[in-house]
Amino acid sequence: MISHHPSPETLLAHATGALAAGHAVVVAAHLQGCAQCEAAQTRMESLGGALLEEFAPEPLADEAFAQVLARLDDPAPAPTASLRQARLALPSGVSLPAVLRGAEIGRWLWIGLGLRYSRVRLPWAPEQNVMLLKVAGGRKVLHHSHGGLELTQVIWGGFHDITGQYGPGDIGEADETTEHQPVADPEGCICLASLEGGLRLPWFTRLFGG
Amino acid sequence: MISRVAETRDRQAYAALFKHFAPRVKAYLRRGGMDAGEAEELTQEVMLNIWRKAGYFDAARGGAATWVFAIVRNARIDHARRRRDARLTGQPPPEEADLAPSAESIALTTEREAHLRCALNSLGPEQKQIVQLSFFSDTPHTAIANALNLPLGTVKSRVRLAMAKLRVLLEEMP
Ligand SMILES: [Zn+2]
Repeated sequence: MISHHPSPETLLAHATGALAAGHAVVVAAHLQGCAQCEAAQTRMESLGGALLEEFAPEPLADEAFAQVLARLDDPAPAPTASLRQARLALPSGVSLPAVLRGAEIGRWLWIGLGLRYSRVRLPWAPEQNVMLLKVAGGRKVLHHSHGGLELTQVIWGGFHDITGQYGPGDIGEADETTEHQPVADPEGCICLASLEGGLRLPWFTRLFGG
Repeated sequence: MISRVAETRDRQAYAALFKHFAPRVKAYLRRGGMDAGEAEELTQEVMLNIWRKAGYFDAARGGAATWVFAIVRNARIDHARRRRDARLTGQPPPEEADLAPSAESIALTTEREAHLRCALNSLGPEQKQIVQLSFFSDTPHTAIANALNLPLGTVKSRVRLAMAKLRVLLEEMP
């Protein structure tokens, strides 16, 4: 049962193509497991289609159709070269979201007590700050500040804070106005997260032994 | 029409798709602030993508315009990225199950989309403009604030209201 969804603004930005590539991957991971948001996304794409139909047509150059026809038999662009994907140790029965198929995935790096980090590099948007995080049970946040939007999709385990309990399939959305102190569930938590700005870690990692 | 392009590589069907959609795709790209030459070039890429990706079209998910919208949206994102860095590859397409949708699910989708067009046209002019700018502007919030002469801080709630109004209209339909 999924109880935390992306905000309407985030879903709209995703449907219209305005969402940053890193966040878009995390939202796509959510949509793959959430029929309700997937239906909302489809509805917004239908809306985009309806608006597209209403545009006054802008004529193309006379030779445009002939030019495209001449290219129909060209080979499609080659698929991306082979990707480096570390085989991450995951709890049994857990697999990474299908949307990460085209991404490079780094090994688990130990970055603090009870905390592991794997860099997710999107070949189509390598500057984006996307990561997998594995947090041991009971870790909690003492202090944090956000810079811009942060999205956290739970893949396994969970955490809770004043906004509720987050389990597999739930997405957490936070920005600089958010004040919460999440605590990982006893079994721990694996999340896919995206952040704006440079390479820094999300609130989730500013943890203290608890 | 798209299914015919996918199944039999029917160039006549493709010509009809081109005639209908290419000028609208160009209008979409121009709306997002692209100059005429760039929009012309990218429209050709999009039309080529429509030929190549026709096999991914799923009539149970949405009509032709819905599918074309998603293709233009993605092409626009890839284009903006490549303008910053020409070496970047496009985002890989999702792997979609190749199942033939039932006539019933296609009929339901057609009805759902007809309702949506109806709801869209029952919005007030200002709310409709908000929805349009949300979809087709590069910087929707600034564009909405400018077009409607609103303080930037109130735009978010106005967008939310317009989208909520659409949902209500949809739910009121038979
Ligand atoms: Zn959801």
